Amino acid sequence: MSDALQKKTFVITRFDPDQDDAPRKQSYEIPVRSDWKVLDALNFIKDEVDATLSHRWSCRMAVCGSCGMMVNGEPRLTCKEPLDQYGSTVAIAPLANFPVVRDLVVEAEAFMEKLTHVKPWIIRAKERAVEEGPLRQSPAELEEFKQFSMCINCMLCYAACPVVANEPEFLGPAAIALGHRYNLDSRDEGAAERNELFRGEGTVFSCSFANECSEVCPKHVDPAAAVNQAKFNAAIDWATRLVLPRGGDE
Amino acid sequence: MKHPLLKLEPLIWLLFGQGILLGTILLTPWLLVMGLGIPLGIVPADALSYERAHLLASHLVGRLVLLGLIVLPLWKGVHHMRHTFIDFGGAKRDALVAPLLYLLAALGSLLALVAVVRI
Amino acid sequence: MSRDANPHAMAPSKPGRTRTAPPQLPDRFPFGGRYLAYTLFDLTGILYVLLGLMVLCATWALGSGAASWSSLLERHRSVVYIAFHAVALIGVIFVGVRFFGFFPKAQPPRVGPLKPPPGPVILAALYAVWIGVAALLCGVLAGGILR
Repeated sequence: MSDALQKKTFVITRFDPDQDDAPRKQSYEIPVRSDWKVLDALNFIKDEVDATLSHRWSCRMAVCGSCGMMVNGEPRLTCKEPLDQYGSTVAIAPLANFPVVRDLVVEAEAFMEKLTHVKPWIIRAKERAVEEGPLRQSPAELEEFKQFSMCINCMLCYAACPVVANEPEFLGPAAIALGHRYNLDSRDEGAAERNELFRGEGTVFSCSFANECSEVCPKHVDPAAAVNQAKFNAAIDWATRLVLPRGGDE
Repeated sequence: MKHPLLKLEPLIWLLFGQGILLGTILLTPWLLVMGLGIPLGIVPADALSYERAHLLASHLVGRLVLLGLIVLPLWKGVHHMRHTFIDFGGAKRDALVAPLLYLLAALGSLLALVAVVRI
Repeated sequence: MSRDANPHAMAPSKPGRTRTAPPQLPDRFPFGGRYLAYTLFDLTGILYVLLGLMVLCATWALGSGAASWSSLLERHRSVVYIAFHAVALIGVIFVGVRFFGFFPKAQPPRVGPLKPPPGPVILAALYAVWIGVAALLCGVLAGGILR
């Protein structure tokens, strides 16, 4: 019950592009409160110990996706992980598989490019006039894609994926799940276009079903399910196109 | 850089998927009987004497099962070998290694066809 | 310890304004934690290729006459052959269990007008087919069925 303060040691990977040849580790021993999350410790270090530490964070409640880092070797949202599950030493590093800009901040631009690449918007064969009113969607139709719309773009799945680590063109779990979300949306008519993207550079078929993306996803989106459903749909679309070239869609 | 096999990936994946699904289902009894049962003497050797084995295998169903037992594991196998190679840092050589592996599976499939026809 | 991932992993199409440190592989990859099951799963690829080729040899021997077939069965009695096939059986079962576990969630919610059955039903059906077909084929191969 007491708010007794413990001490924990944080071994943090540091990197200053202006001064360091390569990333290095720096240890900080600080008092911690029992109800802290990992992010609270990082903010304490920055506020009270070493103002040069750089890290991303924002909402503190696991909805913005900013604070993803490797905590003891696992990709985690630092605002979500209680500190008391860890022992007396906690290792914090930038997300795996990403180039590192500085300290715990990774280069996210490629992630943005992959998201944009899958055309994450409603595609209509013909634009609907305003007078025709809104596109209606039943709750059952919403359920078909809702899970895949819950992604907060935290990039933990990219840090866990062995294919992202080895194949730079691979679209990756979140981008494919996002494209699949639109393919499943009853208002969308762009599945053929996206399936072609899914079979192109960065192909969904590079996924080897490690399932790590779904294991680490803090919002239970299950991107592995999305990617493998997308493979099936892209394969069926390909087979259909062999028999019925362009124009065979409803 | 476009990978030469990009256009064929859906077909390869479909073959690989059946390789895991049907290949695993068919391999299980093969391993239990041919792999362990008969060599260990648990299954009498005359269950698959030449006469009986030949009779079963020359039936259309027998030929199809044997074909499946060769072709499906080959496609699953080479696809996973390719992924293992990439996982251990071989992505730069994938454009060379992948076609070789799939060629191995294709050759094996062709030989399988010859093998079941000549029974 | 940290090891480099592919140097171009998650590299933007245009470089940023400052130099970046190269991407690192996840610490536990490829043999630590959950990655072990995944890596073993991928390594069964070699096993399946060997098994496919061995069935090819057996089929070829069957088509080459009684003497070929007998000598094949004789070679199968070796310790190495039996040990390999014991490991192979474990490998094939491991592949089946892992793959069947993932299969239900890999089915899209709808293909045209068709909806797949619920996950547990798909899983039960997969195991029923696996066990059923295996039992049937074991019965045929071992001489119990189609004597």
